[in-house]
Amino acid sequence: MKDTVKKWLEEKQVDMFLGYKMVHGHALPYCFQADRLDEVDDLVVSRERYSLEKMATHIAAVYPEMKIGMLARDCNQRALKVLDIWDQLKKDSVTTFNVNCCPSPLKNHGDCSYLEPSPVGPVKVELGIDNNMSVEHAEHLDQKERFAHWMYEFSKCIKCYGCRNICPVCFCKDCSLEHPELIRSGGALPTEVPLFHLVRAAHMAGRCIDCGLCEDACPMDIPLRLLYRKVGSSVSDLFGYRPGIDEGKSPFNLIGDAPTTEPRPI
Amino acid sequence: MTNSIEEIEDAECIFLIGTNTSEAHPLIARRVMRAKEKGAKLIVADPRMIQLARFADVHVRQRLGSDVALLNGMMHIILKNGWQAAEYIANRTEGFEEFEETVMGYTPAKVEAITQVSIRDLEQMAEYYAAGSPSALLYAMGITQHTTGVDNVKSCCNLAMLCGNVGVRSGGVNPLRGQNNVQGACDMGCLPNVYPAYQPVTNEAAREKFSKAWGRELPGNAGLTITKMIPAMLEGTLKGLYVVGENPVLSDPDAHHVRSAFAKLEFLAVQDLYMTETACLADVVLPGVTCVEKSGTFTNTERRCQLLTQAIKPLGNARQDWEIISDLSTAMGYEMKYQNSEEIFEEMKQLTPSYAGMSYERLGLDGLFWPCPNSEHPGTPYLHKDTFTRGLGKFHPIGYKDPAEMPDAEYPYFLTTGRMFAHFHTGTMTRKSAHLHHEQKTGYVQMHTGDAKKLGVKTGEMVRLSTRRGEVEIAVVISDMAQEGTFYVPFHFAEASANVLTNSASDPVAGIPEFKVCAVRLDKIVHGENRK
Amino acid sequence: MEYKLVPSICSYCGCGCGVLFEVMDGQLVGTMPLKSHPVSQGKLCIKGWNLHEHVISEERLQTPLLKTNGALQEASWDASIQTTAERFKKIIAEHGPDSVAVLASAKVTNEENYLIQKFTRAVLGTNNVDHCARL
Ligand code: SF4
Ligand code: SF4
Repeated sequence: MKDTVKKWLEEKQVDMFLGYKMVHGHALPYCFQADRLDEVDDLVVSRERYSLEKMATHIAAVYPEMKIGMLARDCNQRALKVLDIWDQLKKDSVTTFNVNCCPSPLKNHGDCSYLEPSPVGPVKVELGIDNNMSVEHAEHLDQKERFAHWMYEFSKCIKCYGCRNICPVCFCKDCSLEHPELIRSGGALPTEVPLFHLVRAAHMAGRCIDCGLCEDACPMDIPLRLLYRKVGSSVSDLFGYRPGIDEGKSPFNLIGDAPTTEPRPI
Repeated sequence: MTNSIEEIEDAECIFLIGTNTSEAHPLIARRVMRAKEKGAKLIVADPRMIQLARFADVHVRQRLGSDVALLNGMMHIILKNGWQAAEYIANRTEGFEEFEETVMGYTPAKVEAITQVSIRDLEQMAEYYAAGSPSALLYAMGITQHTTGVDNVKSCCNLAMLCGNVGVRSGGVNPLRGQNNVQGACDMGCLPNVYPAYQPVTNEAAREKFSKAWGRELPGNAGLTITKMIPAMLEGTLKGLYVVGENPVLSDPDAHHVRSAFAKLEFLAVQDLYMTETACLADVVLPGVTCVEKSGTFTNTERRCQLLTQAIKPLGNARQDWEIISDLSTAMGYEMKYQNSEEIFEEMKQLTPSYAGMSYERLGLDGLFWPCPNSEHPGTPYLHKDTFTRGLGKFHPIGYKDPAEMPDAEYPYFLTTGRMFAHFHTGTMTRKSAHLHHEQKTGYVQMHTGDAKKLGVKTGEMVRLSTRRGEVEIAVVISDMAQEGTFYVPFHFAEASANVLTNSASDPVAGIPEFKVCAVRLDKIVHGENRK
Repeated sequence: MEYKLVPSICSYCGCGCGVLFEVMDGQLVGTMPLKSHPVSQGKLCIKGWNLHEHVISEERLQTPLLKTNGALQEASWDASIQTTAERFKKIIAEHGPDSVAVLASAKVTNEENYLIQKFTRAVLGTNNVDHCARL
């Protein structure tokens, strides 16, 4: 891996390479460049996952001509595909070095590098929703019970917007979550439940690539991934489209007024 | 905090009192919630229906300012039932008998009358807390910002010792510090009576040590606390003031009073990021920088000293705060020359035993907990493990006292103040942020539906709140989060400043003002009325 | 073109969460959580996520201000520091060291707080130093 990256940088196949480097025992995202080639020796594949593609969109927004290399797992690849069809980060400007998903036995759980999901406490199982639950299982709960469980989860929300901020495929200029006519701003916590979460879920339709970063970023361990997976399965049933997996435009690129797809200013 | 943040997750019972954790310390609320989901009992004592109260096994809404009575009531029940940690009390504490005598006077019936908490709830709280092994107690400004703040804190300690919860993992008495580096500012001796690491200025040996290190004679009399500085400014005995990174004109109680005190100063220098309300009154304003533009360390509420790395150059002509202080010192004839913050850290740790074993290299990205006395020491996540710092833990007999100001015919409601989730302190930083501004643009008074009906006011209506100290016009928000008879105003907003209203009466020992309780009246604003 | 992520600590509340500052060509463009931080474990609250916004605010002071003819006006560092030093010296000479005081900050670093109290005690010669944390 290191040799390839060095070669890419040397031969100017890429102008920079986004990967990870260890700093005091922590893997941090790092931008490797040709003028500091020997640093590539420190390149590692990290246990932690950052959205390197989101960083790449920030760079591309300022330097559209930049050729960006990056380390990519399956989830990064799916995100890149979505970013391409929504004109946020063009396919041709990115070169990826593919690494295996984490050595997790749970590959089936998320078909990406979601590491061992931490076991969930008994009270959460009883009142809330086990983050490891499958969509099928969740659908088997009776409706009333299901509602109560979700409301329990949502009412923990501290409105950090972390789920949105970390999302590699959230790039709208005006976010519905901040639309005063949809969701009231301010006041006390929790935010409006379940509105906040359902608005976000609806907007993830045709976009969410099931990387799990949102749930990872949620301070309250709300099972966001399960929620968006359900939305994803509806889209797949209705349109036969799975974001980041299927080729071509998303059905949501096509409906309504021509959507604005200019890169989001940072 | 006696214990670390991550330990909270493993407590069997968590008792939150006077802390709206999810809004003021969100990432600690995460641990509380995780503990709860793992099966811990959660007790919340807060007059308002705060977010975490929704998840509590028992939530009590004690009358504002009645915490000592509430805690004594719990301890009464614990003792009555023999739930105390007898062995721990015998081996590790002193002053128990006298304390017991006081507590036995707080019968559930008496406590119910003072606090308006039902006997059943009181018993439930006592039972959960005593049964938890360990139980963690968390508190914040809702405990300290009272004229009886020190009494409140001591009562919390009494309770924790009574059940043997101090000096154990996941237990403890855990004050949640409001600002990122309050802990550090105290540790570094920015207090009128102590040098770094709490070495008293009145102690001959300590004074000699610092005098020798700094090469100057040092004064042996304790200085003024901020609450004493204000009257000294008004009297004209305090004439010059240098304020670094604070906004006392907005953050201090009884703001009108504070403003006139500042106006009397002969000279005021302010070092800050913005033109704050205080900076507007200054003779000199020195632009410092944010944490992004400097390196150095912060010590968080769990005593973890952590390293900041400078990410960008200072904006414009602004300068590192330590450089400004050094230059000022040099200009006054005492040369200070440091290359970087690390050099200052190295000097500091020679004089600060609890930080002695730390270095930038060792701090890394995980930081270290003090006390960390030598370079091999791993740091101390929880305090008082086998023995208290002072040897034996001391029980204090504490009686209940009313707040300095209680509602009466003229000012019939209670007023309390606090934070909301999107803003911080006086808003000098958060209100500059577009996303945070979007969440809450200005101040408001939150009140219960019942009170709103009685007063005939609606959400969004502007009303006048007045206390014996001042008045503000402010918008109403009706919410059943509020307790009936008690209004709540967040203190982040200068134009609807809670601290025009609050009482500067303060705790006699700690000097902390009673922000959390005063008496207030509400008047509708009649259209066309002449403004006072 | 330079792009880096610099690990640091949130400067709002006392939790002390770990953040990464996103810096492009010397400009601060964003804040994100430090995933492996022992306190925050890759999560932040709304304040932490927006930490960069107050830094790059247009309202930041960028030049010292000195009161001249009754109004604050832009001044050089030298003049501002000199004036401050002289005014404090004058007050101390006339009224003694306890007629001046310093308010330190729960917002600045340990190193800076250490210097503030050292300055107050060794240079001004008073123990009149406190911070606003009790407020
Ligand atoms: S990350 Fe979690 S707590 Fe934060 S806004 Fe999203 S759902 Fe709410
Ligand atoms: S991110 Fe939020 S919880 Fe963490 S230190 Fe900052 S303000 Fe506190």
